[in-house]
Amino acid sequence: MSNERISTNISSWNRNYQFIIYAALIVVLALIPVFISSPFIIHICILTLVYIIATTSLRLVMTSGQFPLAHAAFMGIGAYSSAMLSKYWGWSPWLTIPIGAILAMGLGVFIGFPFSKLRTFYYAMVSVFFGAGIVQVIVAFGKYTGGSGGLAGIPTLFGAASKIPYFYFFLALAVVSVLIMYRLEFSRFGLNLKAIDQSYLVAGSIGINEARNRVIVLGIGCFFAGLAGAAYSAYNMGISPTNIDMTATLWLVLYVVVGGMGNFAGPIIGTIFLYMVPQFYRGLKEYTPFLTAALLFIVIFFIPKGIVSLPKLIWQKLKGRKTKREISQ
Amino acid sequence: MILEVEGLTKQFGGLAAVSDLKFNVIEGEILGLIGPNGAGKSTVFNLLTGVITPTKGKVSYKGKNITGKRQHEVAKLGIGRTFQLNPLFPNFTVLQNVVASFQLRPSSGFSDTFFNTKKYRDHEKHIQEQSLEILKMVGLYKVRNELANSQPHGYQKMLGIARALAVKPDLLLLDEPIAGMNPDEIDNTLEVIQKTQASGVSIVLVEHNMRIMELCNRVVVINFGQKIAEGTPKEIRENKEVVRAYLGGAYDTER
Repeated sequence: MSNERISTNISSWNRNYQFIIYAALIVVLALIPVFISSPFIIHICILTLVYIIATTSLRLVMTSGQFPLAHAAFMGIGAYSSAMLSKYWGWSPWLTIPIGAILAMGLGVFIGFPFSKLRTFYYAMVSVFFGAGIVQVIVAFGKYTGGSGGLAGIPTLFGAASKIPYFYFFLALAVVSVLIMYRLEFSRFGLNLKAIDQSYLVAGSIGINEARNRVIVLGIGCFFAGLAGAAYSAYNMGISPTNIDMTATLWLVLYVVVGGMGNFAGPIIGTIFLYMVPQFYRGLKEYTPFLTAALLFIVIFFIPKGIVSLPKLIWQKLKGRKTKREISQ
Repeated sequence: MILEVEGLTKQFGGLAAVSDLKFNVIEGEILGLIGPNGAGKSTVFNLLTGVITPTKGKVSYKGKNITGKRQHEVAKLGIGRTFQLNPLFPNFTVLQNVVASFQLRPSSGFSDTFFNTKKYRDHEKHIQEQSLEILKMVGLYKVRNELANSQPHGYQKMLGIARALAVKPDLLLLDEPIAGMNPDEIDNTLEVIQKTQASGVSIVLVEHNMRIMELCNRVVVINFGQKIAEGTPKEIRENKEVVRAYLGGAYDTER
């Protein structure tokens, strides 16, 4: 009995399989600039890494049963605060990026208290308006934020000569962020979050403080959203309200749902499929929403647990067919 | 007295679900709380454990006023409970359900958790061992690695009790623990309840199955949110008002 593993996740097999995926992914990604010199592809890879941080943090918040539809707005808080501090006060981006992330976290914790009283679509509804409110405030203070046209000329981390240093910076940032969130997910804290999601009544009856856990996880999620947004602004030199509005949030939700909400790798796979892949047939750009909608339908009807569950699903189908044949023989 | 309830009242709009209820739980006893459907038994449990706050009245646990405390605070004081419906976390395994319920010991700090230190791992291993012990005690050891919602109804109810035991309660509130169980499962459950009592836990049972009265030291009968009788199971069985509450006036034993 004592040699039994402490399994705070669904199965240890699943965990090993995830670990292999991550390790392979990191190695492949680190080699990309060696083989590919196209700045466009490097650019796409950098944005994918930014979105991976954002979607992974969004999913972490969602494991606690919260459905925050203001996640891109929190990226915006990080991006704008970091950009304005470095642009107007001349602070180094190395300093303003963490400040932006911490400000986003602060706001997340602040709204976390009233939000912890809300559930299901009431939560979603209030968070939508909160996100829209943030965008409106940014537009209203156009004198400092650039208004609806966006803020340009933000100081960058490594200058504009090459994208390669940015790529490694964002790769390191994404790996560290994802690792931190992985540790959180499979700790007792993560277990408590999943318990709250499944039944807040039962969770309360065993002594889990629902409000406290929900506020903490929203703070952590907003920290990483702010971090992704702030780092993005220090790479892109510009940021506009369309980057952080409701549509941007919905895309993040879509990446998570299509990738697979129930799995830690889900948002990563989802981001790669839905963000990265369509970039390579840019000629079809105006059809992207339709293709995405079609993909979404396919996922919902045929692979409801997301792309990440596809290998297991195929394996089960093959096994099922084999057993059937064995039975008929 | 481990639990003292005085003048407990809960009004939903104009309707008094529980009104002016008074009862005590003596340390180490099993107290039965019985009554017909809709008498307000589950509401009493929800009032005691902070799921809903009482309109009036006072609840004392170990001499401390716990009226209006929130659910998780009540649990941390050592009051475990089960639920009549949906008693568990459906997407966890049976073992995870119990492991997740160990919240009480001073849990590891954030840095221990994060860096997966030896202290954290030892702590979790200890919890795991204790959880397996509880599962053995209630007879769910063989299905420990299966999903909770794939289990039959009786097992799910039993897992609800196992979960409540993981809180290490001094007072255990069981909401219809044997409802919908088959005779074997009922025997097993009654045995677990007796074992729990023997280990020094005070128990309050809500039930309208009269069979559970065999176990109780004392019984409190409520109807329409009011106490109509209190006494030993034998006294209650012979109480005319209780019989009338259950069977209706037309079946009065006098006739």
